[in-house]
Order: sequence, then C-alpha cells, then structure tokens
Amino acid sequence: MKRLFSLVFLSFVAATLSGCGYNAMQASDEQVKAAWAEVLNQYQRRADLIPNLVNTVKGYASHESQVLTQVTEARSRVGSVNISADQLDDPQQMQRFQQAQGELSSAIARLLVVTENYPQLKADGLFRDLQAQLEGTENRISVARNRYVESVRDYNTMIRQFPGVITAKIFGYSPKAGFTVENEAAIARPPSVEFGATPAPAPAR
Amino acid sequence: MIAAARTRAAHTLIGWSSQAGLWIAMLVMAVLAASTPAHGAATPGEPSGSSLGMQVIDQTGTLTAGQTQALETRLQALEQEKGAQIAVLMVKSTDGESIEQYAVKVFERWRLGRKDIDDGLLLVIAKEDRTLRIEVGYGLEGAVTDAQANRIIEEQIVPRFAQGDFAGGVQAGVDSLINLVRGEALPPPVIKPADTGQSGAGMSGRMYEVLFGMSIILLSAPVWMATIVGAVLGFMFFNGLSFVILGAVAGTVISLIGRLFMRGKRSSSVSASRRGRSRGAFGAGLGTGGFAGGGRSSSSSSHRSGGFSGGGGRSGGGGASGRW
Repeated sequence: MKRLFSLVFLSFVAATLSGCGYNAMQASDEQVKAAWAEVLNQYQRRADLIPNLVNTVKGYASHESQVLTQVTEARSRVGSVNISADQLDDPQQMQRFQQAQGELSSAIARLLVVTENYPQLKADGLFRDLQAQLEGTENRISVARNRYVESVRDYNTMIRQFPGVITAKIFGYSPKAGFTVENEAAIARPPSVEFGATPAPAPAR
Repeated sequence: MIAAARTRAAHTLIGWSSQAGLWIAMLVMAVLAASTPAHGAATPGEPSGSSLGMQVIDQTGTLTAGQTQALETRLQALEQEKGAQIAVLMVKSTDGESIEQYAVKVFERWRLGRKDIDDGLLLVIAKEDRTLRIEVGYGLEGAVTDAQANRIIEEQIVPRFAQGDFAGGVQAGVDSLINLVRGEALPPPVIKPADTGQSGAGMSGRMYEVLFGMSIILLSAPVWMATIVGAVLGFMFFNGLSFVILGAVAGTVISLIGRLFMRGKRSSSVSASRRGRSRGAFGAGLGTGGFAGGGRSSSSSSHRSGGFSGGGGRSGGGGASGRW
C-alpha cells in the first residue's frame, strides 16, 4: 500500500513538474524577449542608416528640403519611443512604437520616390549602396517582426491553454502584444491608378 | 532431498536468468529504439549530403548537367576549405510570394551554414518571375554585405540574365560570392564539416533523451544490472575510462534510489520496469522527433527534392534582391 502510494506520488511529482509548463513558459518568455531584441536591433540599424542617406541625397537634391526634414524629424521621434522587453504586454506602448516607426517608413518611402527624379543621384555608387543597405534592413525588419509575432503567438497560446493558464495566473504572466497592420484602412482601400499626375505620393498616414 | 534442492536451485537459476534475460532484452530494445530511427534518419541524407551533393538545384532545366556539376564541385571545395555552405536554387516561380519571403523560407528549411556559425548563403532565382535574391546567413553578413550582394546582382548576374545567359550569370555570381567568403576569417571546418557539425548537434540532444529514459528504466533495475548498464552507457556516450566508472556509480545510485521507493517484490518491480520501458521508448521517440525537426532530416520534409541539407545555420533577411 505504502509502495503504491509512493509510486503514485512519484508519478504525480513527475507529471506536475513537466506538466505545469512553468519551465516551458520561462523558455517561451525568453524567446519572445530575444525576438523583440532582434526587432529593436534591426529598427536601430535602419535609424543609423538615415543620416548617411539624408546627406547623400542632400548632395544632389538640396532643394527637396521638405522631404529631407520630414525624414530627419521622423527619425528623431523614433529615437524617443522605445519599448524595453519588459513592457511588451502594454498594447498602447506598442501602438505608439509602431506608429513612430511607421511614420519613419513612410517618410523614407517619400524620400526614395523623390530621388527617382534625380538620375545623377541614382547613378551614384554610394547612394546605390545605401539604398541596398536600406532595402536589406527593411527586409531584416520584416523577418524579425515575423519571428517576433510567431514567438508571441507561441507564448500567448501557452499561457492561455489549460495547465499553463493556472501557472501563468500564479506567476503573473500576461499576454504580450504582437504587431498589427499599421494602416488597415489604407490597405483595405483599392489602389487608385492615375495617369499624368505628379509622382508625389499620397500622404500615407 | 538433494534433487529437490537442485530443482529449487535450478528454478531460482531459471527464474533469475529469465529475469535477467528480460532485463537485457528490455535494455537492448530501449537502446535500439533510441538509436535506430536516428540512424535511419541519418543514413539517407549522409551520402547525398556530402558526396553526391544537391547544392545546386535547378527545377527549370536551364543549366546543363555539366554546368551544375561544375558549380557543385566549386561549392563543395569551398565547404571543404572554409566550412561555409552556399546553395543555388532555380525555380520557375515563387507562386505569388515575394522573392524575399521565399528565400527566407527556403533558408529556414535548408538551414544552410554551420550551426551557431551561420555561414550559409543562398542564391534563389525565380526564372519566370524574373527575380532573384542572395540571402545571407547571419555569420556572413560581414563578408557579404547588402551593398556587395546588390553589386553582385546588378553587375555580375543581371546583365547576363538579361541576355539570356543564365549559366554564365549564375557562375559569375557564385564565383564572386565564393571570393567574398574566402576573404572572411571563419572558424576552420572540422574534418568533415557538414557531417560532424550536424551529428554532434543532433547527438547531444538525443543523448540526453536516451540517458533520461535509461535512468528511469534503471530506477527499477537490479543494482548489478544498473551498474553494468551505467558503465556501458558511460563508455558508449563519452568514450573514456573515467566515464565508465562514473556511469557505473551513477547506475548504482539510480538503482538504489529506485530500490528505496519500491522495496522488494518482483511483480511490482517488473510492472514498474514495463512502465519504465514504455517511458524510455517514449523519451527516445521524442528525441528523434526533436532531432527530425532540428537537423538534417529537414531535407526529407523538403518537397524540393533536397538531398543536400544544411548544418543548422540561420539567416535574418540580409542580402539583396534584384530583377531583370
């Protein structure tokens, strides 16, 4: 009887140790943080490229000052909105972060459209290198965001499913915010094609 | 009297030996269960991965066999020399995906480059989409920067592709990439870079699964058996005399702990051992499952006819894309 009891007790301990998901939750939490660090890293990389880009464009297209200052301003705003890995469960903070980065994205897009009008600039080797770096970085950002979203999904699923939800409640784990589409309305609207219009882009906001 | 004693002795001997036989059979099964699927997973990839080679995959039938072979030889030479893995994939179309997304997916599936060095590189060409991309693993982002990848695409590859010279474009691009990678100081390859890197990585994970399953079995094994098994396992996995002794001691301790919890009675120990065995087999199954997801057998899940598969490298979207 005692033996049976100890056997049951042993299997119970074994089951709860691996079954409550505490360790898995720790691992998943770290995974999310690492993925977020990579997102920040790549956004920072983009922000670091901007001064060079602005200076290069300035050399050929100095009178496009409006677009250039917009980019510079957007970049400085991005620097002021930062989320540490501990604030990831705050959706509003996340929203602000995304908005700031989104503004920088559209400012860069406007700048690149403007550069289309300057063949000499486009032929400049330095500018082409910078543009390649910028494209690469944008792509890295989207990959990092994608991986972050996946890790958040794993984490949120874990702390909402049955045994995990109890552990999460006990240890105070809350769901983390993923990325949302920045301009849902703009995407839902079909693109309008105009001929003969100036190539200036619509203010994507 | 003597006969009775003898029969009793024979009985106990038979009982004892059948008990031992059961144990040995069980342990052998557990070891087999732990090692066979892994070996089975490793063998089909092995010859094709290192000798036959599928580092250049052309699904469009653009390159001749000789051109493919020439590229493979060069890429394999690079892998022997530096350890870096470069792969070329030519497809008809990415089916609506952007070339960037497609390249990242292929890279994730093939795991080009060595694990934790991430020195992989992928050249994807979607012929009918007229797009191409050089996807660079984390470890080569310094050697092949985005700007350099872009220049290779725009100056070496795209002009030739535009004239319809696909073989020349791919060759020129691959040559430039090889030159860039050659200039980078990478950790030297181990004797057989692709193989040792992978099996070592897969082994340690599987090893712990096996050891875990074994120690559960040993909980209910007789002490002498646990000692021997511990010694054998210590020798098998760590290959050293001190580990044999360590394994023997560990086996003894585990068995004594198991004994503490379930003293005596055969039947319970046998039923516990049955449980232990199923648990052990389960653990081993888990181990191989994890291995399948983590290592080279990713090639078998690849629908892109991959015989070659990477060593566990990763990429994060670095590189450049182009179109012609």
